[in-house]
Amino acid sequence: MEDNYLISGPISGITVSQLVEKAGKRMDIGANMIFLGQVRADVLDGKRVKAIEYSAYHEMVTAEVEKIKSSIRNEFSDINSIEILHSTGMVNAGETSLLVMVSAGHRQHAMQACNKIVELIKANLPVWKKEIFEDNSHVWK
Amino acid sequence: MTVKVLFFGVLAEVSGAAIKHYNDTKSVGDLKIRIQDDFPEIVHYNFRISVNGVITNENVKLKSGDEIALMPPFAGG
Repeated sequence: MEDNYLISGPISGITVSQLVEKAGKRMDIGANMIFLGQVRADVLDGKRVKAIEYSAYHEMVTAEVEKIKSSIRNEFSDINSIEILHSTGMVNAGETSLLVMVSAGHRQHAMQACNKIVELIKANLPVWKKEIFEDNSHVWK
Repeated sequence: MTVKVLFFGVLAEVSGAAIKHYNDTKSVGDLKIRIQDDFPEIVHYNFRISVNGVITNENVKLKSGDEIALMPPFAGG
């Protein structure tokens, strides 16, 4: 399943470069701040994480992302565009599961807004993750 | 009247299904008791409840067609 902000599987480098190219078409942008969240191969009790399976409450994700974008636009006047993508389903260690890209006229607002969006996503997005180990056992986070 | 209950994260494992339907539940608190009767293990988990996408409390009345979600702590990113 795919919608505005959720993507099935990992976020590819192609997606990232397409967004950069899209921003390049706007001549009022002076700064693009990109955050990419990557799945870490943590080791728990001697077992290594090989992947994370994400699940989400799709309708509520859409509503929460809209709220986040709206509050950021109110707080930072210099923002040109905000892109947010989160994975659902299986994402292997080393792959990207979260993308936040803020384009602004100048770097300060781009960097501050991007940082704030990532924190708001962590706190407010109804997304859950199941860490899957190399022996196929799992733990919910 | 029937309401739809969505179990997310670990709670889907506890209940054995992502979606269940319950009949004749008057309030969120009433529904919670019914769910605890069906899945006693659920009391060991921390979760919030939303009704039609809005996080709510146990006093809220339910009506037919409501969508209730049981949501463990969020873990995105």
